[in-house]
Amino acid sequence: MKRASNPPFATLVLLLAAGISASAHHSFGAEYDANKPITLSGIVTKVEWTNPHSFFYLDVKDASGKVSNWKLEGFPPNVLYRTGWKKDVTLKQGDEITVTGWHARDGSDWGHSREVTFKDGKKLFFGPPAGTGDGGNAPAVADPAK
Amino acid sequence: MAQSRIVSNLMAAAVLAALPLVTTGQTAAPGATSKVPRAADGKPDLNGVWQGGSNRIGTWEEANGGGGTNATTGQITPFAVRGAPEKAPYQPWAAEKVLESFNRRGIDDPMARCLSPGVPRTTTMGLFPMQIVQTPKTIVMLFEVFHVFRVIQIDAKHPDDLESSFMGDSVGHWEGDTLVVDAIGFNDKTWLAGTGTFHSDKLHVIEKFTRMDQNTIAYEVTMEDPAVLTKPWVQRSTIMLRPGTRLREYECAENNTDLDRYEKLLKDESVFRRK
Repeated sequence: MKRASNPPFATLVLLLAAGISASAHHSFGAEYDANKPITLSGIVTKVEWTNPHSFFYLDVKDASGKVSNWKLEGFPPNVLYRTGWKKDVTLKQGDEITVTGWHARDGSDWGHSREVTFKDGKKLFFGPPAGTGDGGNAPAVADPAK
Repeated sequence: MAQSRIVSNLMAAAVLAALPLVTTGQTAAPGATSKVPRAADGKPDLNGVWQGGSNRIGTWEEANGGGGTNATTGQITPFAVRGAPEKAPYQPWAAEKVLESFNRRGIDDPMARCLSPGVPRTTTMGLFPMQIVQTPKTIVMLFEVFHVFRVIQIDAKHPDDLESSFMGDSVGHWEGDTLVVDAIGFNDKTWLAGTGTFHSDKLHVIEKFTRMDQNTIAYEVTMEDPAVLTKPWVQRSTIMLRPGTRLREYECAENNTDLDRYEKLLKDESVFRRK
């Protein structure tokens, strides 16, 4: 459609709706609850540098002293490399870290990770933001109920 | 740098100029600039590692994590498409199916089962880069995601012995400086773009790749499927060059925990459904 009234630089704008959204391998929203953010601190017990998602396990002690082993999901190795991680170097068994993320809908000790803070204060993203792969804010078709 | 100041000024002007214009539907990119690299045969040179699904220049995180199409920070790429995308023109029965998939938060995404993403989803996907290898007679697109590839013969016809497949069969030709790719021969097991955007094996995809400058390909895709759509569905976006990036491996089935988890979740959909 011809739009003669467009200003000359109208293509350079900061607004873009997510019609073709950044995609993930699977649905965040089916497995995790974006309304249940978590922040966990503990000791890394295991790292799985695997596809389609990497995981690390974290021993977390609660107020009563009980230790739970949490499983945290994140990016695959190719993306971790591009966000600043190095396999077997950046994150190792025994490391003391804090991670933010979101709790699994089934209530288990399982979470979707976002940002890891290391003991020296360094921060890196281990996983994407909430909401990837689950349809985003609006369906691809008009919702007749709205 | 003077150049970056100019870009910043242009962007600021563009934002101010664009604010009163609230439109639905997308607008096409303007004509290509004179800075388009050329191949030996004079065609625009598309060789390189690229990625779709984002209009944010910057680190991988900026472009794909905190960035991407939903970001409010970071520098937007020139030629980024403005305005809300056209809603998918599904027939009423089919729209209900798409909406149901959205309400189920995409738990039925074929990609979660490690199936090839199909066309055009593979091209418009963020996070994973693609590499274009161009010769005068053949253009090959290599996708990091799931090791998918497309071999596009130039000025060729589709084979007459096609069997339906995830990525279909693609042939191309040049219209001026635009590479036009025609793809048919699909199965019905992939999604076109967003959550639940299914199609039939009647799918016909026409893509236009126009290199606009050093860093940007304007991408327009027309999806025709009379079995599920009321009219052709047109989407426009940009694909940006990722200098210094090399394709790595993304092997889906190595440690895919999703299917076991989905099986448990599906016993009670109220746990995760939108409505």
